Amino acid sequence: MRKPYRVARALFLLCLASPLGLAWLPADRLPLGLDPDFQALLQSSFRQLSITLAATLALATALTVALGYLSVLWQRFGRTGSSILKAVESVPAILVALFCYAPVSGYLARHSSETSQLVSLIVFILAATLTMLPESVRGVAIPLGDLYHRKYSLSFRSYGFTKRRILAVLMASQTMRGTLKRIAAGILLKTLVLDCSFGFIIQLGFGSYGTPAHASPGALIAANRDALFEGGTPLLFWLPSLLLVAISTAFLLTLADRVEAAA
Amino acid sequence: MRFLRFLARELVVHGALFTVAGTAVLSLLYLLSIGAPTESFAQTGRSFLLLLSGSGDFSIEHPGFSPGEIIASGAAVTLPLALASLLLLTVVALAASAIATTARYRAEAHGHLGTEALRRFAGFLASVLAAVPLFVGFWMLATRFGSQAPFLLIAITTICLGGLAWDATRFLMSDMLRQVQSTHAAVFTTLGRPLGALLPLPGTYSGYLFSSSLPRFIPYLAGKVPAIIGAVTIGEIVFSFPGLGSTLLEALLATNTDLLVASVFILLCVNAVVAFLVKSFLFLIYPRWYEKAI
Repeated sequence: MRKPYRVARALFLLCLASPLGLAWLPADRLPLGLDPDFQALLQSSFRQLSITLAATLALATALTVALGYLSVLWQRFGRTGSSILKAVESVPAILVALFCYAPVSGYLARHSSETSQLVSLIVFILAATLTMLPESVRGVAIPLGDLYHRKYSLSFRSYGFTKRRILAVLMASQTMRGTLKRIAAGILLKTLVLDCSFGFIIQLGFGSYGTPAHASPGALIAANRDALFEGGTPLLFWLPSLLLVAISTAFLLTLADRVEAAA
Repeated sequence: MRFLRFLARELVVHGALFTVAGTAVLSLLYLLSIGAPTESFAQTGRSFLLLLSGSGDFSIEHPGFSPGEIIASGAAVTLPLALASLLLLTVVALAASAIATTARYRAEAHGHLGTEALRRFAGFLASVLAAVPLFVGFWMLATRFGSQAPFLLIAITTICLGGLAWDATRFLMSDMLRQVQSTHAAVFTTLGRPLGALLPLPGTYSGYLFSSSLPRFIPYLAGKVPAIIGAVTIGEIVFSFPGLGSTLLEALLATNTDLLVASVFILLCVNAVVAFLVKSFLFLIYPRWYEKAI
């Protein structure tokens, strides 16, 4: 009974997150019956979102694993790093993203669409990674440190294993793999929220000067925000919003499942 | 002595020093990244010092735009919204965790599986609600009320959508649920006290579990203050409130460095004030836990 439930649940989550994959299909393969221009914008925004999520996940996870491992290996490094990350954590994430974006906005306006899209993407990924790191590094360092001080780690030490080697073994343990999966789901969720909120704010504030470079679904929703007023087409506002809700729900349910399992 | 150490650490180091240093670093990075000329650095530094001294001439580009006006915009909009959101976040997390723990207890001790199923369904609904982007909720409110939207509704939206309440509830709930099967919790249930199914009040079962989780929950809340301030900032921009969020965006749009520095400084001040209040609460109730948490 347990296995069919898990398969059904996995399929359900996959359906919810499917807009990220479907966005990559050719437009003629997706008979949505939408205005072609809007459909192109919708697909392009979700494509960019999937790239942002994948790139941020890769960068943030690699840095998290490295920093988490090193902060347990060298305690002084861990303490210094923790103080720096705490300071970063005290600044609201949206403020960090706005600050990173503002200086390059002039550059984005001056350069061609492709160049500015790439620069905007890199800037955003760096900003998002910076805001994710404090919580995720803590999420790795604390359980890894706990595992290192347990009895079986002590017995490893009595056999003459170096700290570096014990930590490498512990990083591959089931507990740490579960922790990393939970952290990955958290990174995806936070990046999604930050990317879309940032896109919305940039579109609201900078209008057409800022957004073509940051084509997130949040920016698309902001561009069609007047569709909710009389005479507008509410679908233009609601369709990207509902797709975002579906993707976020998939990440939230994954995260909730893992938190509950950890409890 | 312990109190003085607390004040020195939280008020001076984490409060004043961090706010001033944070503003200086962010401004420096901004000026470096836009390739500002050398004289701009000196001019911005001078303006920042004038802002700190409370002088009305802090901005040469915008004479007469006093620090008092910027601080007032933060104090009138950003701070109350952030505090109201923090209060609501606490209440929602407390109520949801009390419901969840008592439902788990009823299911395990009395076989009342209905309440546990209800809890899971409510958890699913909460996840869906948390998945709604915050700005979508804000825009819905804006289309209905314009910039006249009541603060309370904005605070409720800030908490319920976007995942703040979801995350806080998950944190407190998992901490309390971990204790349901512990011996001390099982012993407490034999005393015949009420369950406290709606709120973890003192003397109730959920209140007993909560008293063990509180020292971990307060630092968690302190850590969430920047997220709340960030959400409030988005709200201010959407509703065009004359708060710090919109001031900051205006400053970025106009590349007005003086206004940008002032807005960031006040935003970090608000952040520090709210975090200080939460940490003072932890220090007053659990001084030893405070020492441990830092």
